[in-house]
Amino acid sequence: MKRPTRLGEGQKLILTANRLLDGHIVWRDAAGQWRPSITHAAQLDTDTAQTALETLDAQKEGVVGVYEVAVHPGIPPSPVSVRERIRAFGPTVHPEFATELEP
Amino acid sequence: MKRLELSTRAASTVDAVPFAELAEHPRARGVVLTSDIAWDALKPYLARLDLIVLTFPIFRDGRGFTQARALREYGRFTGEIRAEGHVLPDQANHLRRCGVDGVMLGENADDAPWHRELRRFSTVYQRAIGDVTPP
Amino acid sequence: MNAPIGHYQYDSVDRDFLAARIDEFADQVARRIDGALTEDEFKPFRLMNGLYLQLHAYMLRVAIPYGTLDSRQMRMLAEIARTYDRDYGHFTTRQNIQFNWIRLEDTPEILRRLASVDMHAIQTSGNCIRNVTSDQFAGASADELVDPRVHAEILRQWSTLHPEFTFLPRKFKLAVSGSPEDRVAARFHDVGVIARPGPDGTLFRIFVGGGMGRTPAVGKEIFDSVREEDLLATLEAILRVYNAHGRRDNIYKARIKILVEALGIDAYREAVLAELAQMDMALYRLTPDMVAAIRARFAAPDLTAPPDATATFEADRARHPAFDRWTRSNTHPHRAPGYISVTVSLKPAGGIPGDATSSQIDGLADLADSYSFGELRITHMQNVVLAHVRQDRLFDLFQALDELGLATPNVGLVSDIIACPGLDYCALANSRSIPIAQKLSARFGDPTLQEEVGRLRINISGCINACGHHHAGHIGLLGVDKRGEEFFQITLGGRSDNNAAIGEILGPALPEDDTVDAIARIVDRYLSIRELGETFLDTLSRLGDAPFREAAYETA
Ligand code: SF4
Repeated sequence: MKRPTRLGEGQKLILTANRLLDGHIVWRDAAGQWRPSITHAAQLDTDTAQTALETLDAQKEGVVGVYEVAVHPGIPPSPVSVRERIRAFGPTVHPEFATELEP
Repeated sequence: MKRLELSTRAASTVDAVPFAELAEHPRARGVVLTSDIAWDALKPYLARLDLIVLTFPIFRDGRGFTQARALREYGRFTGEIRAEGHVLPDQANHLRRCGVDGVMLGENADDAPWHRELRRFSTVYQRAIGDVTPP
Repeated sequence: MNAPIGHYQYDSVDRDFLAARIDEFADQVARRIDGALTEDEFKPFRLMNGLYLQLHAYMLRVAIPYGTLDSRQMRMLAEIARTYDRDYGHFTTRQNIQFNWIRLEDTPEILRRLASVDMHAIQTSGNCIRNVTSDQFAGASADELVDPRVHAEILRQWSTLHPEFTFLPRKFKLAVSGSPEDRVAARFHDVGVIARPGPDGTLFRIFVGGGMGRTPAVGKEIFDSVREEDLLATLEAILRVYNAHGRRDNIYKARIKILVEALGIDAYREAVLAELAQMDMALYRLTPDMVAAIRARFAAPDLTAPPDATATFEADRARHPAFDRWTRSNTHPHRAPGYISVTVSLKPAGGIPGDATSSQIDGLADLADSYSFGELRITHMQNVVLAHVRQDRLFDLFQALDELGLATPNVGLVSDIIACPGLDYCALANSRSIPIAQKLSARFGDPTLQEEVGRLRINISGCINACGHHHAGHIGLLGVDKRGEEFFQITLGGRSDNNAAIGEILGPALPEDDTVDAIARIVDRYLSIRELGETFLDTLSRLGDAPFREAAYETA
């Protein structure tokens, strides 16, 4: 988790975690709030992402397993890896459980 | 550091030397056994020892349980076995039932969860060496 | 209520224990939430209670000891799925069930509801002795020598909160069988135990060091004939050697199989014998009284059938070809005349292997009450068994299953696919396992085609951890990551029966769509080159994998 993510051309980083109490996936917005929809995730450069990772307090903020995810910027941002797309949008085998993206 | 009791055996007051120095200190009556050393390395010294300190580098390293149980069951060791290092209250009954008498905790550690654990279960599903009151 | 058929009957001692264990877990959750336990400290404790943090949420794995449960317990699983999850559960290759969308906060309450029907999630994960698995036809199969459930229950109890073996180098899986035909994959477990009758009581053949994962290994026989009274002592000794000497520096080298490989089975046996020579045997003796006390907690079904049960059954078969076909694939001979065991397939064409909705779970509970003494078993093939069905009532059962959408006639056939959850749920995955399983089962969905292909087992794992047991599949698929894309590596020739073997890699990994086509060509090739009566494995061992490699990689 410590090694910095290498970004491809035009990619950004967003921060993700699971909420401690219910395990739900959350994404960190520009105000430092953890939100259930990837739409609001703050899209950061490597340095800002690194600083945020080092300064946030997972226990206080009620999240576990914080790490950064490479995305193609946009609204919503689109994660580069299949894994993170599944985390962001829901399991591919249950379309009815797709994560609702808030506007 | 403070000591939390797991058994009724009185705590020993002797000092413990590292295992590597045990041979050089013929009068030492206590030893620190790290988790990578098999219990039987202590066999030649057991008769003169009053205290064996088992160290847990991390609570997930379960070798100490086997060391303690073997010292009691195979070595017939009747002195104090003490646990030090990273141990958690959730392990209180495991330690006790493997024959450990006490745990060293940080000065500010909360004893309450340890006492809750020690009182928690009235049933066990297997026999263990530490369930027998030591002689 | 009456004693349940099929599993151990709890008493107040067992129930008090469960209540205390749940209080302990609730205490751990509270300490995690207030920060007294860090996530790294909490994780092993939540895992020991079956709670994972998966891709989307917490996942709770509930134990079904030796795969057997009663209808009341089954209904509770449906209730949990409806109340705390998204209305379905997933039956696993370890005969357990898991729920994928659980909240940490709800977990103590869920565990209390499970405890109200004598169920729990104890040791369904973590580096401890895991839930004990057994033969899905235990106590029913015509070929059984010893009913393995009594000893499986003894091992369940012995391993529960074991003081010495709860912080092992790695997980530790036990399976127990009592039949000459290995249906539990004994040689693919950390310890596999096979019971048989001896002149003076039950004897146990013990295999050690089998497993899947990154370094698959077929277990080696450590003892041929352990006496019943020495069973627990012997297992203690095997675990002591492992706990003291198993590697703790590398999780991929921490299973007992690596230690057995490193020492050699003879040295491992010597080390175990050295332990046994020092042990206080009285402390570990499994006495006939102890065994009898456990046996007495199992109720036996009254297996009397009318004299014409078999004749009625044969007549039903003759009249209804679809029923006849389903009978050929989905039933197993019973030891009692007029009875038969049924495997209900949870693998409909295009479906998710092992998933069941809460209404299907409830429906199966009802059918168990009506047709099989209220008892069900979960198989390591992720199906459900109704073990004691009267033959003259089988046709009724078939029709009732059909109404629930659970009459797929494919048990042991090519679309009875075992697949792990894969990247759709699992935090460790490289690839999705479920979609490819769905495509394959749809491709081979035609019952006539499947029956023609015959016994052929496909296993799919989404990563090298091999939860889908791909090493043991006649055809195995392993998901690999190639620059962020999902690829599959094909292995052929794995098996988990008495001739256990690890599948061999056929060639370079293929993208998902090509994989489905490649498997179809492999099956076609088998059909065109087999000799009369040959199974896929027979043809493979006669001709080797060259013809199949050629078929798989032939470009259209
Ligand atoms: S095999 Fe890998 S992907 Fe599949 S469930 Fe196991 S860990 Fe997850």
